[in-house]
Amino acid sequence: MGRLIVSVGRPGPAAMAADSWSTRFHGGDDVTSEDADVSLTGEARRGKGNTLLERDGLLAGLEHLLDLAGDGAGSMAMIAGEAGSGKTSLMNELARRVEPRGRVLIGGCDPLTTPRPLSPLMDIAADPDAHFTGHDLAESDPFSLFADVLDDLKGTIRPTLLVIEDMHWADEATLDFLRYIGRRVADTKAVVACTYREDELGPDHPLRTVLGDLATRQSTVRISVDPLTVEAVGYLASESRHDPAELHRLTGGNAFYVTEILATGEDLPGSVSDAVMARVRRLTPPAQRVVEGVSVAPRDLTVDHALALSGADLSDIDEATLSGVVVARGARLAFRHELARSAVEESIPVGRRLSLHREMIDLLRAGEDLDLARLAHHASRAEDGSLVVEYAPEAARQASLRGAHREAAEFFELALIEADRMIPSELAQLRRDLALELGILDRQEQALQQLLLAAEFYREGSDHLLLASVLRRLSQALWRNSDLEGARRAIDEAIQLLQGAGDDEALALAHEESAYNWMLARRHSPALEDLARCKELAERSGAEHVLLLHDYMAATVEIAMGDPERGVDGLKRVESQFRERGHDRLATTTLSMLGSGGGEVRRYATALDALDKTIEEGVRTDADYLVAYNRSWQARIAFEQGRWDEATRIAELVVEERYGRAAIAPVTAQGALGRVRVRRGDPGAREALEEALSIGEGCEMQHLWPPSCGLAELAWLEGRLVEIPGILDRVWTQALAADSKWARGEVGFWMWKAGAIDGPPDAAAEPFALHMNGMWKEAATTWHDIGCPYEQGLALAEGDEEAMLRAITIFDGLGARPAAGMIRIRLRKLGVEHIPQGPRLETRSNPAGLTNRQVEVLGLMVEGLSNGEIADRLYISKKTTEHHVSAVLAKLGAPTRAKAVALAESLLEQENGGGSAP
Amino acid sequence: MPRYVVERTFEGGLEIPTDPTGFNAMMGVVGNNAKEQVTWVQSFVSADKTRTYCIYDGPSPEAIRRAAELNSMPVDVISEVRVLDPYFYLGTGS
Repeated sequence: MGRLIVSVGRPGPAAMAADSWSTRFHGGDDVTSEDADVSLTGEARRGKGNTLLERDGLLAGLEHLLDLAGDGAGSMAMIAGEAGSGKTSLMNELARRVEPRGRVLIGGCDPLTTPRPLSPLMDIAADPDAHFTGHDLAESDPFSLFADVLDDLKGTIRPTLLVIEDMHWADEATLDFLRYIGRRVADTKAVVACTYREDELGPDHPLRTVLGDLATRQSTVRISVDPLTVEAVGYLASESRHDPAELHRLTGGNAFYVTEILATGEDLPGSVSDAVMARVRRLTPPAQRVVEGVSVAPRDLTVDHALALSGADLSDIDEATLSGVVVARGARLAFRHELARSAVEESIPVGRRLSLHREMIDLLRAGEDLDLARLAHHASRAEDGSLVVEYAPEAARQASLRGAHREAAEFFELALIEADRMIPSELAQLRRDLALELGILDRQEQALQQLLLAAEFYREGSDHLLLASVLRRLSQALWRNSDLEGARRAIDEAIQLLQGAGDDEALALAHEESAYNWMLARRHSPALEDLARCKELAERSGAEHVLLLHDYMAATVEIAMGDPERGVDGLKRVESQFRERGHDRLATTTLSMLGSGGGEVRRYATALDALDKTIEEGVRTDADYLVAYNRSWQARIAFEQGRWDEATRIAELVVEERYGRAAIAPVTAQGALGRVRVRRGDPGAREALEEALSIGEGCEMQHLWPPSCGLAELAWLEGRLVEIPGILDRVWTQALAADSKWARGEVGFWMWKAGAIDGPPDAAAEPFALHMNGMWKEAATTWHDIGCPYEQGLALAEGDEEAMLRAITIFDGLGARPAAGMIRIRLRKLGVEHIPQGPRLETRSNPAGLTNRQVEVLGLMVEGLSNGEIADRLYISKKTTEHHVSAVLAKLGAPTRAKAVALAESLLEQENGGGSAP
Repeated sequence: MPRYVVERTFEGGLEIPTDPTGFNAMMGVVGNNAKEQVTWVQSFVSADKTRTYCIYDGPSPEAIRRAAELNSMPVDVISEVRVLDPYFYLGTGS
C-alpha cells in the first residue's frame, strides 16, 4: 500500500510542555508558544529592512519562558552564537515584544583589559526600572548586591527579562553573579538571558565552568543561535545581484557579514574588515603574525608552515585559535569565515604580503611532493609571472583530471594573464585546454573565443594535424554557440586537411565528430556514412580508444534515428566500457546521451534513471553545461508524463542568467514551462514559448519543434486553427528533411489537426501515426503504455461517448482545463446529459484515493477532534465537515468513525516502519 | 510583478471566523505566500460563499499554484490582469 500523507493546515500544539525545561532550542525550529497560538513565520519575514529570519522558534520559546516566569517559574537562558550571528538583534527583538507586558533590563560586558567588576549589574542598577541600587563595593560584599537583585526579581508583579550580553568578556564577580542567580532563578519571576560568543571560549575559559555548573539545572535553557541557511541568505539577497550559494559560502551564513555585504554592495565591506581586525588586534603580535600567515594561504595552512612564516611558537598558535578567529582542523589552521580571511589578507601592507607569498613558495618547494595548486596560487599573489607559467597550467591539468573544472579554468586563466611570457605554441595549447574547461562550465562564448585564437595560430603554421584537432573542437564550440553552419564548415575543413595526411587515427576522429554533427541535425544517411569511414580508419590504425568512440556515436545515431532498443543497449555497453577504462567523463557523457536521446524517443524510465545519475555526478564535477541540459530534459519529460508541478519547478531552476551559455538548456526548459501553461490554460504561455524560440534562434530542429508545437497547440485550444501551418512552417520543413520519427510524428500531428495534411507523414512515430490514421483506441493504448496521459486523452477525445468521458477524467486529473472544456462543450452539443462536473481538490497518490482536504480531515479525526472542532480548525462549515467525514468513511470502507481512525492509525504505523504491509 | 486573478471553488462554502483563530489562519496564509514571493491583495467572495475571486501579485502562475498548495487551497483559473478604473480616463474626454 502507498503512503498515507497526513497533513494539518495549521501548526499543532506547542512542542514544548510547561514542565520540560532543559531543552535545547535551535534557530530554525518552528516551535510555537502554547499561549500565543500563532504561526510566527509570517511575522518574522515582515520586511527586508528589519527582518529576523529563522529566529521564530527561538523567540517563541523565549517568550514562552517569560510567560511562565510571570506565573512564578523563572529560568536562565544561556544563548550562544558566533560573533556576528545576531544575538544582539535577537535580544532587541525579544525586548521589543516583551516590553508591553514585562520589564526589560539590559546590561553588557566589555572587552576591557581591566574590566570594571560587575559592570553589567552597575549598568542595570542605574536603570530607573531596577529596584536595586549599585552599592559602593569597597564597602559591602558583592553578595549583598546579589541578594538585592534576587529580591527584586522575586518581588515584581510583571515578569522581568534581565539580559546580560557578551558574557565571554565577563569579569570574575559577574561570573559569580551568574552562578548565584542561576541556582535561584527558578523561584523568581524573571528570565535571565545571557549571550556569549561560543567561538571565543577556549577550553579553559572560566565561563565554561559556570556553564557546566548550571547546565544540568532544570531551570537552565541552552539556546544556540545558528548561522543562516542558504535559503535565508537567498531570501535576504533576492533583490541583489549576489548568488545566494556563493554569498553563503563566503560568509558561512554569518548574519552580520551577510547584511553588511548586502547593505554596502561591496565584496568586503569596511564594517566587516573593521570588526575582524578589531578582534585580531587584541592578540599579541606573534599571534597576529600567525593569523596573517594563515590569511595568505588558500583554504588552510599547516601548523608547521604557520610557525615558519610567523616566527612564532606553538603557544602563539594556541592563542590564535582560542581567539576564535582561526580554527584548528587537525594539524591545519583555517579561518572560520572566508570573508574574515579576506579581510586580514587585505590588511597586510603590500610589501609584507608579497614577501609572505614568496616565503610560502620557498617553503612549498622545499617539501617532498609539490603542491602545484598552492604554488600556482602563491606565485600569482607574489606577482611572479614566470613561476605562474611554470605551475599554473600543470595545476590546472591536475584539477581537470580530478573533475574540479572550475579550479582548472581558474588556473588556466591565471596562466593566460602571463601570455607574453609564453612561446606561441605553448599559448595556443593553453587556449585549447582552457577552452575544454570553459565548455564544461557552460561558458560557451568564452570557450569559442579561445578556440578561434588558437586556430588562428595553427593556421599560420604548417602542422595540419594540430590545426585539424583544433577544428574538431571548434566545430563543437560553434554548434554550442548556435552557429550551425560554422560548425559544419569547421569539421568539413578538418576532414579535408586530414585527407592523405597519413594519420588514420586523426581522420577517424574527424569523421566521428562529423557523424556527431549529422546526428545533431537528425540526418541518418550522412551520419552512417561518416561512421563507416570512422570505423574503417580506426580498425586500420588499431586505435581502440577511437573504436570505442565510434561505438558511442553509432549507438547514439541508432537511438535517435534507428532502432531505439538497439541504441539503448549500445549506449549502456559503451558506458560500462568507458568506466572500466577509467574514462569517467566520457562515461558520464554517454549516460547523458542516454538521458536526452532516450527522452526524445520517449523511453522514459531509462532516460530518467540516466539523467539522475549524470546530474549527480555533474554537480560534483562542476559540469555545468551537462547539468543544465540534463535538468531541462527532466523538465521536458516531467511535462510529457503529466507531472506538471515538477516540470515547472525544474524548469525554473534552469532558466536564469544565461548570457554566454549554450542555448539548448534554456530553450528546452522554457519550452517545457510554456507547454505546461498552454495545457493548464495559465497566463504567460505564449510569452514563455516565444522566448524559448527566440533564445533558440540558432538551434537545431530537435530543440525547436517542441516549443513550436506548444504554440500550435495553443492556437488549437483557442480556436485559431488557421494560424497553425504558419506557426509550424519552419520546423515542418526541417522535420520532413530530417530523420526523426518523433519530430515527424508530433509536428505532423498538429499540421493534421489544422487540416493542412490528410494523414501521417512517412516514418512518423507510431502513436501519432495511429491517431492520424483514425485509430484512436490503439493510439490511446500506446500512449498509455508509453506514459503520456495528455496525448492519451487527446486520442480518447476522438472516440465515442465513453472514451470522451474517460478523456475528461484524465484531463481533469491533470488540471488540463482548456482541453477538458473543449470536450465538455462537444458532449453538450451531442446532447449527452451526465457530464462530470469538474476537478475536485487534486487527489494525491494515497492509497484510499482521498483528496487533500479529506486527508486533512482524517488527520484531525485521528487527533480526536469532533466535527465542530474540525470545522473551526479548517474554517469550513460544520455541514461541509460532515460531508467530508462521510466521504472519508466511505473511501476507507469503515462503518464507524472509530473504525476509520483505527485504520488510519495502523496505516500510519506501517508508514513509519511498524507492522506488515497488506 | 504581474497581477493575477485567481478563481477558486469551495464546495460547501468558505467559512472564516472573525476572531483570533480566523486572524491566525489569515496570517498563516500570508506567511506561506511569502515563501513564494506571492502577495494576497484582496478577495471577492460570491454570495453563497462557494466561489472566490482573489487578487494576487506574484512572479509567475507557478508561484501562485505552489502558494495555494501550501495553504491547501483550490485553484480553478488563473488570469493575468491589469487594473482598469473609471478615474484613469478623467481628463481624457471633452
